[in-house]
Amino acid sequence: MTEPIIPSINLTLCNRCTQCVSGCPEQSLVMTERGPEFIKPITCTYCGDCEGLCPTGAIRAPLWVTWDAHV
Amino acid sequence: MQAEALNQIPIFSSLQADTRTAIARRAFTRNLPTGCTLLVEGLPAEYGYFVLSGELRALRMNQDGRVQILARFWTGDPINLISLLSQEHVNRATIETLTNSTLLVLSASDFNDLIHRHPDFSTLLLRQFAARLTKMTDLAADLSLYAVRARLARFLIELADLTPSHAGWTQDEIAAHIGTVRDVVGRLLRDFESADLIQRQRGQIVLLNRDELTRISKD
Ligand code: SF4
Ligand code: SF4
Repeated sequence: MTEPIIPSINLTLCNRCTQCVSGCPEQSLVMTERGPEFIKPITCTYCGDCEGLCPTGAIRAPLWVTWDAHV
Repeated sequence: MQAEALNQIPIFSSLQADTRTAIARRAFTRNLPTGCTLLVEGLPAEYGYFVLSGELRALRMNQDGRVQILARFWTGDPINLISLLSQEHVNRATIETLTNSTLLVLSASDFNDLIHRHPDFSTLLLRQFAARLTKMTDLAADLSLYAVRARLARFLIELADLTPSHAGWTQDEIAAHIGTVRDVVGRLLRDFESADLIQRQRGQIVLLNRDELTRISKD
């Protein structure tokens, strides 16, 4: 089974504020010494809340835009 | 760096051979992986860059301590020119790689030297500034002519029609590109979804109704 796509976290931009960890509705993230890490990537719904909460732009949950095959 | 290598780079193709040789003598390349910080806002501006491949973005810290996304850069785009040429001489934004990227690097003194000795290099930079200014003027015109809903519909169509960006687009980046804020982009995407114009899947926005989105893009 392929790993689900999850947001990326650039730890060099992260200031360890923990907002992403406390704001994740699925509790998918934990704070470690290195910064936030995915504890349960499978539970992440890719809702993008952590990206919106992050004050430093460290988290990216990018979207790719395509046409539906029938359009 | 070999002068021949510069011949392969489209933005330098208009330059005279001796200018390309002068750039090649001074420049070096840097390969950076995804998620690397190339420049930090507020530090002295020491180098200027041209993107040879990859995607990068510019971020700047707001007064309220939150980061604002300013711009995206692709192959051929210059980075940090305004910082090098302005009097303050500090990096005006933090630059981060969104994909593996290769950059041509010139020091501030080499940039100045090339500008003074090679008028075609100055013309190249002026063209780059003109292109950026045109983009900003177009955005300003768009802001006054079209509602944000129309700008978002147009941008989604553009993204779907273009070769896909390797790095994708975050809602903040879309907002910066169409001159609005993330919350508005999120709300409009939800509206488009309830009207069956788009479908959101994990990491994907699938456009379902070209006619209606095109109509909205002209509102
Ligand atoms: S995308 Fe949503 S579910 Fe996934 S880590 Fe971020 S906040 Fe949690
Ligand atoms: S919200 Fe952003 S800055 Fe704060 S801990 Fe999470 S990744 Fe780091």
